[in-house]
This record gives sequence, structure tokens and C-alpha cells, in this order.
Amino acid sequence: MPHKLTPLDRIRIERLVWTLDQRLYDLPRASRIAKRREVRANLLEAAADQGTREALRRIGSSGALAREYLGAEYGDRPHHSWVAAAYFAALVPLLLNYVLSEAANAYGNGLAAAHGTSGIFTWTGVSYLQSPLTFTVDASGVSHSGGAWTPVVYVLWLAGTIACGRLWRLLPRPTRGRQTAAV
Amino acid sequence: MTTSHDPQLLKGVLSMVLLHLLAEKESYGYEVAQRLQAAGFADVLEGTVYPALTRLEREGRLATRLVPSPSGPARKYYRLTSTGLDSLHAASAAWARHVAGVEAVLARPLPDPPEKGTS
Repeated sequence: MPHKLTPLDRIRIERLVWTLDQRLYDLPRASRIAKRREVRANLLEAAADQGTREALRRIGSSGALAREYLGAEYGDRPHHSWVAAAYFAALVPLLLNYVLSEAANAYGNGLAAAHGTSGIFTWTGVSYLQSPLTFTVDASGVSHSGGAWTPVVYVLWLAGTIACGRLWRLLPRPTRGRQTAAV
Repeated sequence: MTTSHDPQLLKGVLSMVLLHLLAEKESYGYEVAQRLQAAGFADVLEGTVYPALTRLEREGRLATRLVPSPSGPARKYYRLTSTGLDSLHAASAAWARHVAGVEAVLARPLPDPPEKGTS
């Protein structure tokens, strides 16, 4: 018996499609959009045919479906994660800049408390992580300049992003034909 | 009719069954699931069928095209490629050998079970 889809049914279907889409961000964009459209079209038809509850039950959770799709796309071997790489690449600068900024502010507050009036001071910064900072203390308060990331930090940031996203798995796998032929 | 299938057995033959269904007739995902259900695989869920179709497409055994649907979004139809057809023939032959081997073993008579109380 055909079922008439209500707005609530469509919202439930869109919710699954949306959560599936969020879990497929490691796929190429075109592939992800194609899967989203296909699942939506199939779900709408299944819901009209069997009811939304049954259609959603038969397709399973978005997490399990995403795992199956990722396995279908990349094979069963472990694969890279653009999402994990993006999280690392975005969050580490935020966290590091926050820590360095707090350290600089603490140093500046110390200068203001110790020297009160005015002066120009240099601090080497957090070892290996930033360039020296110059603090200017005057009547208007404490200001500072410098403190940029060192090249080491950029290298670690890049290495961490690659490690976190396991991006080496994007490289083509070495063929084993030569080994097979030798056996 | 609802029958239960061993998931491990089913996993091994699902690709072959899908290839056969699509060799019979070009279909879209939900229709394939319905045809599987009608063939007695009622416990094979759509959440298993759609990624399996994706896998076969990635392996070059299926080709797809979008067909506008009067009742909703465009449907993605799957059809067998020549590679898929070769693969189906090979899988069917392997399955026949497998079944023959299993049936030959199962057809052998079993020894009488030991009487109770004897060790």
C-alpha cells in the first residue's frame, strides 16, 4: 500500500541523508554528492512504498552505512581521513597561539609590575616555538611585537596533520607483481 | 516469505547475485533490493545492497546512468559491463564447483552415532 509522505517523513529522511553526508567527508566531493542523492532518491521511494519507519530501518544507521560506503570506495584496508587532518590543521594553531599569547601576556604583566614606568624589553619567547618578542612598557600599558612561529613549528604542524589524517595512505600502493612472479 | 541466511555465506555470494540480477535487467538501487527480497533474500537490507553496488561500480563491473523519475529525484540505474559479465560467468562457474564439492561431501553417509553410556 503506497504511503503519503508527510513533511515529518521528509525531515526524518533528510536527517539520515545529512548525517550520512557528514560521515562521508573523506570521499571526493563528487562521489559524496552522488551517494547523497542516490540514498535520498532510494529512501523517498522506499518510504512511499513501505512507510518511512520501515525504510529507515532497512537502510540502517548512517554510521554503519557510511562505513560500508567508505569500505566500498577505498577497499577494506585502512584509509586516510581528511576530516581528522582538517581538525588537526585547524585546532593546533588555535591552541598553540592561545598558549603563546597567554605566555606573552604573563611576561608583559610581569614587566609592568616590576618596571611600572617605561622601557623596551626583549624576551626570547618559548624555546624552539617562537621568535623573540619585544615588549614596550609606557604610560598607556604594555604592548609587544614579534613571537612568530619558528620553521620548526611549521614542520611539526605539517607532520602532525599528515600523521593525524594518515595521509600517506593516499599514495598508490606498491605493486607486488614482481614478488608474485618470483614465487 | 522471510528466510534467514547465514550472513557470512551471503556476503560471499551477494556480489554474484547482484551481478546476475543486473544482467537480467538494468535497475536502480531500491529496485535491486526489492528484486532480491522477491527472490527470497528478505533479510538482505538496503544498507547492505547500496554500498555493494558502489563497490561493483568502483571495480568496473557495473556502469551507471541517471534517469529522471516522475515520482521524485533522478534514479541511478546500474547495468552490467563486459567486465561484469566475465566476472559473473567466472563466479557462476566457481559457485557450481563449490556446490558440487559441498554436496558430494554432504551426500556421504555418516557412521552410526555411539550408543549412550559408552566411552
